[in-house]
Amino acid sequence: MRTSVMSQMQRSFSIDLPSLIPLQLPSRRETHLWYILPDEVKSTSLLKRYSQFLSPIEKDRVDQMRGDELKKNALLARTLVRTTIARYQTNKAVDPGSLMFKKNMYGKPEVDWQNCKNYNVQPLHFNISHTDSLIACGVTVHAPVGIDVEDKERKIKHDVLAFAKRFYTTDEVNFLATILDPEAQRKEFIKLWTLKEAYVKALGKGFSAAPFNTFTIQSKPGTEGGYSLCKTSEVTANPLEKTEECNGRWKFDLLELAGSHYAAVCTEDDQADEGAPMRVIVRKTIPFVEDQLISERIFL
Amino acid sequence: MASMATASTSLQARPRQMATAVRCFSQGSRNNLSFTLRQLPTRLSVSCAAKPETVDKVCEVVKKQLSLKAGDEVTAATKFAALGADSLDTVEIVMGLEEAFDIEMAEDKAQNIATVEEAAELIEEILKEKA
Repeated sequence: MRTSVMSQMQRSFSIDLPSLIPLQLPSRRETHLWYILPDEVKSTSLLKRYSQFLSPIEKDRVDQMRGDELKKNALLARTLVRTTIARYQTNKAVDPGSLMFKKNMYGKPEVDWQNCKNYNVQPLHFNISHTDSLIACGVTVHAPVGIDVEDKERKIKHDVLAFAKRFYTTDEVNFLATILDPEAQRKEFIKLWTLKEAYVKALGKGFSAAPFNTFTIQSKPGTEGGYSLCKTSEVTANPLEKTEECNGRWKFDLLELAGSHYAAVCTEDDQADEGAPMRVIVRKTIPFVEDQLISERIFL
Repeated sequence: MASMATASTSLQARPRQMATAVRCFSQGSRNNLSFTLRQLPTRLSVSCAAKPETVDKVCEVVKKQLSLKAGDEVTAATKFAALGADSLDTVEIVMGLEEAFDIEMAEDKAQNIATVEEAAELIEEILKEKA
């Protein structure tokens, strides 16, 4: 059936939704990670209702997606962002459809707070990522956040080491090369990908600001899911020397969601104190229906 | 046989015209070569500046990377995101294009490619510089 999904949705708004349950803002050293599993959202009337929150441009983008599944996921992604941000506006109930978005000068999406009238806004940072079967949104208050999710079972069509040699740093290639089992190697490759993506997205300056082969992310010994960032500088006089600047400013957490996905969270620690822990609170949601607290983690 | 060398220098001054060499056979053993200058048809202004063959080859790489079915249409204007490609897919597409065209793409340019058309144009730019 070729009829546009969006025009079908617009024809009937048969259900009434309860009010959105407000949320307490993340604290200074916290990231809230929300996710939706599209397979769990089956009600067509609920999806129709979600579509009402989208701006005309967002509706167009959903319509441009090929096939019902991609359209549904695009709709859910915008719904997740809008409803989540609306819930953190604790002073007054906010219509998720009233939020406006813009892009920073490098193209990173942000809330356009200036155009929001009538309520005290809490300046949040957010970032979304989605795969076919999971959509996630990270929210922070004091520092920008970047997140990236990938299906653990995602197959790479190219040879993993060839891919890494082309795009990652030498240290990362060497690390991957030590993993002999191809499956384990592929998994570590994916984890690195999500971590590197999360960093670039947290920076918010586009890929040119941080090409993948200019920074190494490696796991922190003695931690579970802890990683640190080291920047490789240009090769100087001695080609065998490579200066690395490892700073504790950027915090990473790598976790598994729904048993099926890797999720990397990256945020900036303005206190630059490597010892102070940061937290990630993970919740699964179906907007207007239910939230489920999944985990609270500390990452270093 | 008459040499075409002298004629070719005058052609360079008029890039939009194509020289057709017409060999006229006349009776006897003598051959005449005469040149006519023919106007090329005005180029249709289309938004895609890349050659159709390049676009087709890009489409093939994209279809393969995203495991699209035979019926899924991919054209110059097709956006990768609309096909469900994420950033990892885009980078794999870039690797596939580098292999198919035997080129190397700068990473920041590669990450910014959003449509088949943009990929094809970037590829042709690189091939031209390589030549």
